[in-house]
Amino acid sequence: MAGLKLQDVRKNFGAVEVIKGVDLEVEHGEFVVFVGPSGCGKSTLLRMIAGLEETTSGRLEIGDRLVNDVEPRDRGVAMVFQSYALYPHMTVYDNVGFGLKLAGTPKAVRDAKIRAAARVLQMEHLLDRKPAQLSGGQRQRVAIGRAIVREPDVFLFDEPLSNLDAALRVDMRMELARLHTDLGATMVYVTHDQVEAMTLADKIVVLEGGIVQQVGSPLDLYNRPANLFVAGFIGSPKMNFLAVTVDSVTDDAIRLASPLLAAPAVAAPRSWMLPGDRLTLGIRPHALLLDDTGPIGGEVTLVERLGNETIVRIRLDAATEVTAALAGQRDVALGAAARLGLAPDDAHLFDNDGRRL
Amino acid sequence: MTAAKPKTWLARLLLALLMTVTLLPFLSMFTAALAPSGSYPNGLSWPADPQWSNFARAFEAANMGQLVLSSTLIVLGVVPVSVLAATMAGYGLAKLTGGRNRWIYLVFVAGLTLPFEAVITPLYYEVRAFGLLNTRFAIILPLIGLYMPFSVYWMRAHFLNVPNDLTEAAQLDGATRWKEFWLVQVPLARPAIMSLTILLFLWTWNQFLLPVVLVKDPSRRTMAGALGAFQGQWGTDVPLLCAGSLLILAPTVLLFLAFQRHFVAALLQGSVKG
Amino acid sequence: MTDGTPLTDARPRALRLLPTGRSRRARYTAILFVLPAFTAYAVFVLAPLIMSLYYSTLRWDGIGKARFTGLANYVTVLTDPDLLSIIGNAFELVLYFTVIPVLLGLAVASAIRGHMAGTFGTLTRTVLFLPQVIPLVAAGIAWSWMFASTGLVNQMLTAVGLADWTRGWLGDFDFALPAVGIIGAWVLLGLCTMLLVTGITKIDPSLYEAARLDGARPWHEFRYVTLPGLRQEIGVCVTVTVISALASFDIVYIATGGGPGITTMVPGLEIYRLAFAHRQVGLASALAIVLMVLVLIAITPVQWYAREKK
Repeated sequence: MAGLKLQDVRKNFGAVEVIKGVDLEVEHGEFVVFVGPSGCGKSTLLRMIAGLEETTSGRLEIGDRLVNDVEPRDRGVAMVFQSYALYPHMTVYDNVGFGLKLAGTPKAVRDAKIRAAARVLQMEHLLDRKPAQLSGGQRQRVAIGRAIVREPDVFLFDEPLSNLDAALRVDMRMELARLHTDLGATMVYVTHDQVEAMTLADKIVVLEGGIVQQVGSPLDLYNRPANLFVAGFIGSPKMNFLAVTVDSVTDDAIRLASPLLAAPAVAAPRSWMLPGDRLTLGIRPHALLLDDTGPIGGEVTLVERLGNETIVRIRLDAATEVTAALAGQRDVALGAAARLGLAPDDAHLFDNDGRRL
Repeated sequence: MTAAKPKTWLARLLLALLMTVTLLPFLSMFTAALAPSGSYPNGLSWPADPQWSNFARAFEAANMGQLVLSSTLIVLGVVPVSVLAATMAGYGLAKLTGGRNRWIYLVFVAGLTLPFEAVITPLYYEVRAFGLLNTRFAIILPLIGLYMPFSVYWMRAHFLNVPNDLTEAAQLDGATRWKEFWLVQVPLARPAIMSLTILLFLWTWNQFLLPVVLVKDPSRRTMAGALGAFQGQWGTDVPLLCAGSLLILAPTVLLFLAFQRHFVAALLQGSVKG
Repeated sequence: MTDGTPLTDARPRALRLLPTGRSRRARYTAILFVLPAFTAYAVFVLAPLIMSLYYSTLRWDGIGKARFTGLANYVTVLTDPDLLSIIGNAFELVLYFTVIPVLLGLAVASAIRGHMAGTFGTLTRTVLFLPQVIPLVAAGIAWSWMFASTGLVNQMLTAVGLADWTRGWLGDFDFALPAVGIIGAWVLLGLCTMLLVTGITKIDPSLYEAARLDGARPWHEFRYVTLPGLRQEIGVCVTVTVISALASFDIVYIATGGGPGITTMVPGLEIYRLAFAHRQVGLASALAIVLMVLVLIAITPVQWYAREKK
């Protein structure tokens, strides 16, 4: 039974600060995904939890125990590496059982646990092989098996699916979700793939530049991104951003002005906004509809027909294009003019500093 | 590839020439070794009455049995310890120390080009102070130290190529550094250790300077060192000298022929890295 | 740093560098792993080296009282005509030890330019490596016999009608040093050849095809593809052979003992002679230090040349 607590955790490499004060609480049994572009510090943070990187300052607790100064082996964590990191000279059986052997687990118990893990992962027939004789997906299973048998308080995954091909990745993703349900253990998972994050996580932590941008459930992040970065990172295709100014403010809505838009009204909380303030308007491609009277119009520059939906790009002016994901198969011609509309509730507004209003 | 044909012939001719040049001294020694003892044979001529007994006489004169034993003892004293110490240090320098401790590695590397002659004089007085002069330890202990630059450099280069993930996985699996070293790193380092063992074996067996300076009694020297003494004693009897030399170089040559592939690989890599 | 007190950014940087308990423990572990090797190295290399430096400032017969003489020994090493010609001998040996094996090796490698497969390949490798496997002393004895007055060299000269040229090569004032050089070349030839042959197989064959399409003659191929491609291997060959020439001892000791006169005397043997026969420990040590420095000076440019590729 172990949660995870980070308090103002920081990490320096020499003079460079790569983790700039992270606060985070993870409940027991939660599946948490760290997501962000490469270099955002997500792997470093995971490795700090594992104890593979020293924590420069701050508190790091696993199951109410301060672990800053605890060796990786004593933290009660297991990790699945991106490269799988299987010991090339050992069989699958020995790879999976290595941790138990080191812990002095009696042979019979060890054998039972290894076989149980192999059964869960459907790799009983692989136990006598060496890693070099396995496919990528099989190695992945062995790496997970090695983590399972240790019965850790916290599972750590460092981009475990990034070396697999697309189809296998979807399979393994589902298997990981099932494993989480079965084991009920705390899992921390690092990925740069927002689809993995959205599908697996109970809680997503979006990182950028060593700072937590937002923590929340997948739908939270999708529906109420805290800032421009999260808004742009979560969701595919990417959210459209348009520069606008405030035209007028009423009790429950504001009217925007922009040379690119036919002045739409947007639902917005009453706030300190004044006419003339510069804002960024964010619109998800899926929130846009074909609407001959809509506020957005221009020339169609790209049409991608995916069958279940049609992706359309419309050029508003020389520097601005808007992407719309239209449901179903639409009859839109390249080069033709098109107009798009949106529901007032579907607009996201961000202030000059990129924060959500 | 058609144009390559005449070239292949040229290459083979060149190689055959090189091989002949390489082998001639051995052949010449061999025919001389079969000439009647005390005679002055000609360079390369099959003697009318081959004196195979020369080998037996040389075997006795050189005290071969004792020499093989002595060389073996010295090799056993030097090689395992050197390989173990170098493997540990190579691992420590590659995996456990960061930029700030790089100077330790540089200190080791600084010794790579050191000619043994540069330290032989003080070594003599040092070994004498330890009371080890004229014992096999006078050869064993200094050699271990003298081999460290190359051996540490060699093993560190190997460990640098082992992915860090494996170390980290072992740490998370609950291994102490010591256990990780023995259970994960050493098994993976076997090819590098094998090559290093071969090289150190050859260099020890063939070591000449240290035995000549530090050990008077030929029966406590390495084979090469003893050969020096043998030449001093029987230098005028060409057949006996040649027979003795052939006997003395036979053990390494036989081992080399048996493990040809490993030796060639070790010698090639050894010089590239060294 | 581990007590969990919230730390502010105002904290001095130096404080962060203080090791926590874990990194201190990690450092002890590292030290334990390196310690055995370092001890052996320190006791039997570093300490003697420092003693060599110290001895080199003394006038000492190894038994009686030593007298401090400052740099006098170095002045002797660098001005005494005999010692200078001994150092010169070492550099002359480089001509044989290095130039012959590297040039012949290059010739063979560019002629083969491919893997030496099959029985012939194995046979060549085995034979060419033999001189590397035997003690240098044995090579010295073998060639002493080759160069003897009734040896094979003279026998062959006579056979081709050059009986006038025959001589006791190693006892000849003009030819002893080249003869010693030939012995070294014989020892190192196989190693260099094999290194270069192996190296040339790593050059992408399409480079040669591209060069040929660009109109390159064989000489151009050699100059613009082979040589640059073998840079590292050539660097290795030169380094290894230069060291064995400058620091030669075994071969000279056995084949000539430095004679006739001092025509084949080399620094390595002279150090031995000075320290243990003439009891001039100070001078021997100064020569030892000079030898060490000369080796470094000789190799450094080679290493630069070989590294440039990366």
